[in-house]
Amino acid sequence: MSKLLITEITRMGPALCVIGLQRDKQKIQSIRPIPPSAHSWNHFPHQRGDILELSLTPLPGASPHVEDRVATRGFRKSAAVAEREIAAFLRKAECSDSLRGLFECHIHENRKGSGAYALPTEARRSICGCQTQNLRMEVCGNELRATLALSSGEVLRDLPVVDRDWMDFIDAAIAPSRGANRVARLERFLNSQFHYKIMSCPHHFVRIGLTRPYRDACWLMLDTLFPLPKADWLEEF
Amino acid sequence: MAPRRIRSPQEKDTFRRIVETCFRHETGSPKPLPDDAADLIETGILDSMAWVSFLRAVETASGVADLGSGLNEQPASFASVLAALRDSSKSRLASVDSQEGMIGDVAASPAFLTGSSFAQGSRRVPSEEVDRAFGMPIGKLRKRAGIESLAYASKNENELSLGAKAAEQALRAGACGAQELDWIIATSETHRDYPSLAAQLHSRLLARENCGALDVGGGCLGLLNALAVAQSLIGSGAARTLAVVTADVHSRVLTPERVAGEFGGLFGDGASAFLLRREGESQAGPCYRLGDFLFGCAGQYAAAIQVAERTGGGLDVQFDGEALSRAAITRLEKVITAVETRSGIPRASVGGFATHQPNPRLLMLLAKQCGVSSDAFPPICSTAGNLGSSMCGAALHAAMQKEAKRKAGQRKPIFLASLGPGLLFGGGWLTPA
Repeated sequence: MSKLLITEITRMGPALCVIGLQRDKQKIQSIRPIPPSAHSWNHFPHQRGDILELSLTPLPGASPHVEDRVATRGFRKSAAVAEREIAAFLRKAECSDSLRGLFECHIHENRKGSGAYALPTEARRSICGCQTQNLRMEVCGNELRATLALSSGEVLRDLPVVDRDWMDFIDAAIAPSRGANRVARLERFLNSQFHYKIMSCPHHFVRIGLTRPYRDACWLMLDTLFPLPKADWLEEF
Repeated sequence: MAPRRIRSPQEKDTFRRIVETCFRHETGSPKPLPDDAADLIETGILDSMAWVSFLRAVETASGVADLGSGLNEQPASFASVLAALRDSSKSRLASVDSQEGMIGDVAASPAFLTGSSFAQGSRRVPSEEVDRAFGMPIGKLRKRAGIESLAYASKNENELSLGAKAAEQALRAGACGAQELDWIIATSETHRDYPSLAAQLHSRLLARENCGALDVGGGCLGLLNALAVAQSLIGSGAARTLAVVTADVHSRVLTPERVAGEFGGLFGDGASAFLLRREGESQAGPCYRLGDFLFGCAGQYAAAIQVAERTGGGLDVQFDGEALSRAAITRLEKVITAVETRSGIPRASVGGFATHQPNPRLLMLLAKQCGVSSDAFPPICSTAGNLGSSMCGAALHAAMQKEAKRKAGQRKPIFLASLGPGLLFGGGWLTPA
């Protein structure tokens, strides 16, 4: 049985993707538990910060998703850690200050429009943490996107935000029950209080992931943004 | 009072052309266009990544910066995008109307480029000599970058002398006396002295005391920045006649003692100058009307080129040649595509591409990437090297000279595209007047 600290739960359509941290002697590495017959989960009842006990089997040939492991038995929660501690552990796992270091390969610009991608044959991993100098979130054509500046000064634009907690927060913010001008109010929040809350948080941290290869490209996305949103922030706008 | 501007059917067609062009570019397929009302995401025509990518392309091509925000709570359809473009256009026109005396006649006061010139450092240095000086294998600049020689300033030349020479020639070409100038706008990536280059040029050219002198930055993008400022001054009515001058003397900044290796060896010295006039001012010879400009900054390439002064007089240079080359080609091609989409001028009908020229090898690659003949790119960098902010100016002057040989009515448009550290990018176009 392995112990896994759940650090990210991402949402793409109805599917959920889960990543956790595993200690291997002195090293802390990211592991992506997947069901035996798919790359994602339809249902995942646990939260970030949960420490789960589970059986994992290596899955060969999944480059650059080298973190994939097949979860062969059900999860059992043994403990949980606070958000601040999750971020502290993530800083000890895969991290980079520069664009090239994220996946140990060149990051390509989308020649047609926006977004950035890595080539599946070049990327050496599919998840990496980073410290950001600045971060902005916006809703563009009903899609949630993030733009961030790495410590190196390099900028990543229009990253799809797939962090489940942040997507749930945005969905709640624009729920019809919230009254008039919901999107405009959300935009104001994202342009003001959000920025302060994120950048002033001592455990602010970001993890960037790669999509599964699609037409020979793995697109960059914002998997995790710490701090996680709080329900009472909805009262502020 | 200026007459209220009514949006013409042509402008409506421009929005549709931009939307359709960007859509085709995004999908890369010649399939029939979807119905205006079709939701592109719900019908599976675009996924969410492609939808946002498409919107960003439309923003760049149309110059409407907040399109994505305007489409929240709207279906992901052509109809929504076209409506948002029209709404944005209306609000911009309303803003113009509300300030009529000040900027009401921007659209009615186009700027014309009526004279140009280029001056390069008078010392021609074979690239092998530069290889040796910078400690590179002999033949590297010629074989790897395609540079045959570099234009270096002689002992008596500097940014001021080269810039003044180019400016005087441009004024002469436009039959304009220096006392007619309302503004001198200068740009240089090597001039760091005070008085600034614009102030020094003002004195050297003997412009009127109430002629403004302004320096703008941007590195190799400096010329486009300066032209955009000049166009705005003319459009606002603040100026009728301006000179835009670039001047760069890299050979005194990027010396082998300060910068080792390939980076320092790529650059040469030169200057360019352009005379701009408001419509209706006297014009001599062939002239070009300035179109729109588009600008931006692709920060993902910020680390590819960084230069900082080091205490003690050296330079800290961070130069990832491979990453920068890839970025330059990708971005310049993207800028040319955006200029093509916004102007409605097919690249195949362009007479010359006045672009930044990092080196001849990359210029060939760019021509290939763009699917146009390399003959349309004036070959400046093969004999002069990379001239910094004067590179695009030298290419523009050469393109204008080439077009001037054609009969009036047969002259073709010119595209501008350039880059600067950051990675700054910009583009625009000129049409024969």
